[in-house]
Amino acid sequence: MLHGLTLGSMYALVAAGLALMLGVARLINFAHGEFFMLGAYVFWFGYSELGLPYPVAALLAPAVMVAFGIAYQRTVIRAILPRSWHVQLIATLATSIVLTNLAIIVLGTQPKEVPTALSSRILDVAGLRVAWQRLLVLAASLAIFWGLHWFVGRTRTGRAMRAMSQNREACAVVGVDVQWTAMVTFAISAALAAIAAALVSPLFNIFPDMGTTLTLKAFAAVVAGGFGYVNGAIAASFLIGLTEALAGSYISYAYKDAIAFVIMIAVLLWRPQGLFGRRIGI
Amino acid sequence: MRLALTLATLLLMAVSAGAQATPPIRIGFASAMSGPAAITGEGVRWGATLAVEEINAKGGVMGRKLEAFFADNKAQPGEAVSAVRKLVDVDQVDVIIGQTHSGACLGAMPVVKELGVPMVIEACSHPQIRALSGKGGNEWTFRVALDDEIMAYTFARYMARQGVKSSSILAMNNDFGRGAADAYDAAFKKANVKLLSTEFFDPGQPDYRPVLTRLKRANPEAILAVILASDGAPFMRQFRELGLTQRVFSRGSLGSAEFLYQVRDNPKIGDGVIEASYWITGLDPEWDKKWTERYKVPPRIHGSLAAITLKWAVVPALEIALKKHGKADRQTIRAALEEVDVKDSPLGPIKFDANHQAWINMILIEIRDGQLRILEKLPTSPALLN
Repeated sequence: MLHGLTLGSMYALVAAGLALMLGVARLINFAHGEFFMLGAYVFWFGYSELGLPYPVAALLAPAVMVAFGIAYQRTVIRAILPRSWHVQLIATLATSIVLTNLAIIVLGTQPKEVPTALSSRILDVAGLRVAWQRLLVLAASLAIFWGLHWFVGRTRTGRAMRAMSQNREACAVVGVDVQWTAMVTFAISAALAAIAAALVSPLFNIFPDMGTTLTLKAFAAVVAGGFGYVNGAIAASFLIGLTEALAGSYISYAYKDAIAFVIMIAVLLWRPQGLFGRRIGI
Repeated sequence: MRLALTLATLLLMAVSAGAQATPPIRIGFASAMSGPAAITGEGVRWGATLAVEEINAKGGVMGRKLEAFFADNKAQPGEAVSAVRKLVDVDQVDVIIGQTHSGACLGAMPVVKELGVPMVIEACSHPQIRALSGKGGNEWTFRVALDDEIMAYTFARYMARQGVKSSSILAMNNDFGRGAADAYDAAFKKANVKLLSTEFFDPGQPDYRPVLTRLKRANPEAILAVILASDGAPFMRQFRELGLTQRVFSRGSLGSAEFLYQVRDNPKIGDGVIEASYWITGLDPEWDKKWTERYKVPPRIHGSLAAITLKWAVVPALEIALKKHGKADRQTIRAALEEVDVKDSPLGPIKFDANHQAWINMILIEIRDGQLRILEKLPTSPALLN
C-alpha cells in the first residue's frame, strides 16, 4: 500500500503538470517525462557533484526546471500552439527523443544513484520496513498538492489559469495576459516534475530513458482523471500507483503495468468522460 | 624533365595501387546504443574503439588496419535486423560482432544468413542460439559467450552443495531472462533444488518492492536473479530495505565491477551475492588499466567481451583468412572462424564446435566486503549438458 502511494505520488506530481498544460494550453506535452528526467539529473548534479545538502539540491532542481519550462514554452510551444494537433504531437514527441538522446550523449548511460540519509535509514514498525525517504515523498507530495490547490484557487494568476482553461479567447478579450499565464503554467508544470524527481531519485535509478514510460502513465492518469482536470489526474495517479503495487504484489509483477492500463481502459469504457466527469478545465 | 614526370607518375600509381591493395578490414559492432539498455552499447562502443586502436597501433592484422563501424539494435529483434542491414549495406563491413542482447541476436540471425555476413556473438546467452547455429542451420553465426543451458546445471549443483534446497527465480522479462529461467527450471530439477516461484520484471523498473514482497511470501532459501548491474543496484538496495534474508545467486552482471561502481557509496550492499559468469575484471589487468584510464569508470562486461571477441576470435580468423587465402572477404572469414583455435584468451580456450559454440571457462564470483573475488574457474564442455 505504502509502495503504491509512493509511486502514486510520483505519477501525480508529473500528471498534475501535464493536466495543467492540457487545461491551459490545450496541448499534450509528450516531452513531460523528460522534464522529470532533466530534473532528476539537476538534482543529482547538485547533490552528488556539487555536494549540496539534500534540501538545497532538491530546491535547485525545480529552480532550474522553471527556467527550462519557460524557455520551452517560449520556443517550442509558442511556435506550435497555433498549428494542428498533429504538429503539436510530432513536435513534443521529437523534443522528448532529442532530450533523451542528448542526455545519453552528454551525461552518459551509466545510471546515477543518489542515496541520501533518509533513503538509507529504515523505519521498522512491527516488521513493516520502509525507508524514511518514502514517507518524505508522501508528506511532501501532500503539501505540494495543497499548495497547488491554493495557488490555482486563490491567486490572481491561478484564477487566470482556470479562466483560460475554460475560454482562452474570452480571457484575451477581457485583458487576461494569456502569454504570461501560459508561461507560468509551463514553469509550474516543469517545477512539479522536478520536485517529483528530487523526491524519488534517492529511491530509484536516474537514467536517460526514465521519463518515457512515466509520460505514458501520467497521460493515462490525465485521461482517466477527466482530461485536463488537475485534481482528477492526481486521484487517477494514485489509483494507478496502488493498482500497480497491488497487481505487482498479488497477481503478476511482469504484467502489473498491463493490468493497470487494462483497469484504466475499463474505467474509460464505464465513464468515457473520465473518473470525475468534466470537460476540459483545471 | 619528361623522365622525372614519368617517374613521378609511376611512383604515384604504385603508391595508389598499394593503398588500394590494403584497404582496412571493416568490423561492424551492433549493440543497444539507445533505449533503456544503452549502457551496454556504450560499453561496446568504448571497448571496440579501444581494441581497434590497440590492434592498429601494432600495425593492424598482417598489415591491414581495422576500421570499426557501429549500429544500434536498441536491444530489440526488429531493430537488430535494421542494424545488420545498416552495417552490411551502408558500412559494407566484412564481419559483425554483436548483438549483446539475446532477443536482438535471435532477430539478427536470419538476416546475417540471408546477407551472407559472419556474425560473432560476444554476449547473448539464450540457449536457442547454439541450437540454431552451425550444424543447426545458420553457418554464419558463431558464439563466444556461454549460454545458460551450459552454465545452469553447474550453477544449480553448486547451489545445492551450498545447502540450498529451495529457490525462486527473478528474471528480466526478455529473451535473456526467459531463456535463463527455462534453463534453471530444468537444472534445479536435476540438482534437487525445489523451484518455488518464477517472477519476471521489465528492465528499467524504478521499484522492486512488489516483486520482493512476492518473493518474501514464497519464502525460498535462495533467489536466483537474472539481472544486469543497472537494475541490480536498486534491486539490492530495496532487498536490504525490506530486510530479506535469502541468499542471492545471480546471472547477468550483479557480481561485477559495474555493479560495485554503481553502489560505491555502500559496496557492501552486494555482500553474499554469488554470480555465475565468464568474465570479471582482473582477467586482463592491462586491459582494465587502459579502460579505466580512458573512460574513468571500471571496465564494463559487454564492452570487454566485444574487445575479447575481436582480439581472440575475429583477429585470429582474419589472420587465417589472409595467410591461407590472401583475402579477408565475408565467406573467407566465415570459413576461417571455423578454424580458430586459441588456447589462452582471457576467457579460456576459443574454438568453435559444430554448433559454432566456443567452450570458454565458467567463473563463479562472490561479492565479499564490497570486493569481487573468484570462487571457482571451471572449464566447460558439451558434457555439462548431460
